[in-house]
Amino acid sequence: MRYILFLLLSLNLFAVDATLRIETDVEHRTRIALEDGSSAVNDKFFRILQADLKISGHFLTDSNHNRGEFNSNFIAPSLKNKEYVLKYSLHQSSGTKLIIRLLKASNAAEVFKKSYAIPTTAKAPFLAHKAISDVNDALKYPSIGWINRYVIFARYTQPKQSEIILSDYTFNYQKAIIRGGLNLFPKWADAKQQSFYYTSYAGVIPTLYRLNIYSGSKSRIASSEGMIICSDVKRNGSKILVTMAPNAQPDIYEMSSSGGSKRRITTFNGIDVNGKYLNNENSIVFVSNRLGYANIFKKSIGGSGVSQVVYHGRNNNAVDASGNKIVYSSRESHNSFGNNSFNLYLMSSNSASSRPLTTTGTNQFPHFSTDGSVVQYIKHRGGSSSIGYINLKSKQSLLFPLSGRKIQSIDW
Amino acid sequence: MIKKLLLLTSTFSLLLLTGCGQTVPELGAGGSSNITDASAITGDAVSINENSYGNESGQNSSSDGFQSIYFDFGDYGISSGMQNAVTRNVTIAGKASRKIKIEGNCDEFGTDEYNYALGLKRAKAVKDALVSQGVNGSKIVLVSFGESNPVCTSATDSCYGKNRRVDLRLIK
Repeated sequence: MRYILFLLLSLNLFAVDATLRIETDVEHRTRIALEDGSSAVNDKFFRILQADLKISGHFLTDSNHNRGEFNSNFIAPSLKNKEYVLKYSLHQSSGTKLIIRLLKASNAAEVFKKSYAIPTTAKAPFLAHKAISDVNDALKYPSIGWINRYVIFARYTQPKQSEIILSDYTFNYQKAIIRGGLNLFPKWADAKQQSFYYTSYAGVIPTLYRLNIYSGSKSRIASSEGMIICSDVKRNGSKILVTMAPNAQPDIYEMSSSGGSKRRITTFNGIDVNGKYLNNENSIVFVSNRLGYANIFKKSIGGSGVSQVVYHGRNNNAVDASGNKIVYSSRESHNSFGNNSFNLYLMSSNSASSRPLTTTGTNQFPHFSTDGSVVQYIKHRGGSSSIGYINLKSKQSLLFPLSGRKIQSIDW
Repeated sequence: MIKKLLLLTSTFSLLLLTGCGQTVPELGAGGSSNITDASAITGDAVSINENSYGNESGQNSSSDGFQSIYFDFGDYGISSGMQNAVTRNVTIAGKASRKIKIEGNCDEFGTDEYNYALGLKRAKAVKDALVSQGVNGSKIVLVSFGESNPVCTSATDSCYGKNRRVDLRLIK
């Protein structure tokens, strides 16, 4: 009897520990090492693979650029403390070929293998992203499909001149889609990233176009005196939020994707801009100066009431939304201009409290990934600029340096 | 007795710990030896050159006799110090045979959309001032260029002040 009682007591005690252990394992990231079996060492490609693994939030990556025989199942003793070793072989001549093998570090068992080939070397970063998202999927972690997406951005080249660039999320791949003229505010028009909206200043007044990046076909959507900007696109692509000023008054409108019909959503006689669909796309969050300075507000699309969303900061002039999550940029320092710090904050549309995502530098242009799990932003600090990413779940962050010209607007 | 208890407890502890150890996740079907051509990556995007189309580069001041109107930081109200320039612009506009383009501009502070709206509010303030002094509003077209058309780029208050302006010119 005493044995039975003691046994039950032991089971109960360990049962508590077991629960704690399982919770810890959920937080635990998989220890993984990369092993380069390429005939020519490509350190840039290794760093891209490493960045992909890190920002996924699911892997704890070995920092060494290990070398080894690709086809061998030998696991170096120094990598035995990992859970997996990802062997890869990259070959670039007229095109790019990548082969990956995922081995268990404990017994060298091959658990995943895949090869990729594309007829170009410029897009090699996309092969790295695809390979890591495939490894992530093979291990049944939540999708990180957002690392495969194109980023599109406009940057100034000289006064009244700009270019619109297509890139991967690390900015290692870049291609100019439109050079010359003044073309601004690119915004993806569809989930497959085949077309984007942008504002052209080629005519007397600004005009909104949609351009298919593969066929080059261009559709005129609408024009407006003063300004016209596509700020957001419905998930199904059927409607867009536009800041325009048909009566010289910048307000937010919802428009059909063809531009055939529109309805005015805000009617303030100051500045209302940057409308983003919120919750189930039946309301919007936007930037307005209705309190005398730029701040974040929300309203339902069909209703008339406007609610203040943010209750701190002296200039909150950029916002993005994903579901009920809101990210915004806020200046809290007193200076009107100069070396001000802008920080990013995350909040829910159902709550007035927010938490900071950044604490140093000037952090602006916040954008959620398509699944809302990662925030993209531009950081300026100490005379240099970077494109940054913050994984909201794992709190992993990455910065990739930006060189040269000033980015005007960005979408992901 | 104690030895037996310890042995029993240790045995169960070992069994439980083994059972709770992290297991390697199972792989999806077809996980090995998959081949893909990554066709979604290969599509080649177009490249469009608009260098010869609508190029207004270099037009970063007023012309045709108009004077630029300057604004305070973040503001779109016309200050009393700018009233003489407004009066001169009313005279020029009254004689104009072509349409007048009023361009709103900002300094580099502020982000994308807000800066373009601020430039537009400045352009509209100048239009309203001209119309209130008799200029025909239908002769005026407003365009905001946000921070895209600076006259200088140095990090000084005086340079920032030169960029917070409204330019006026006749449409060619």
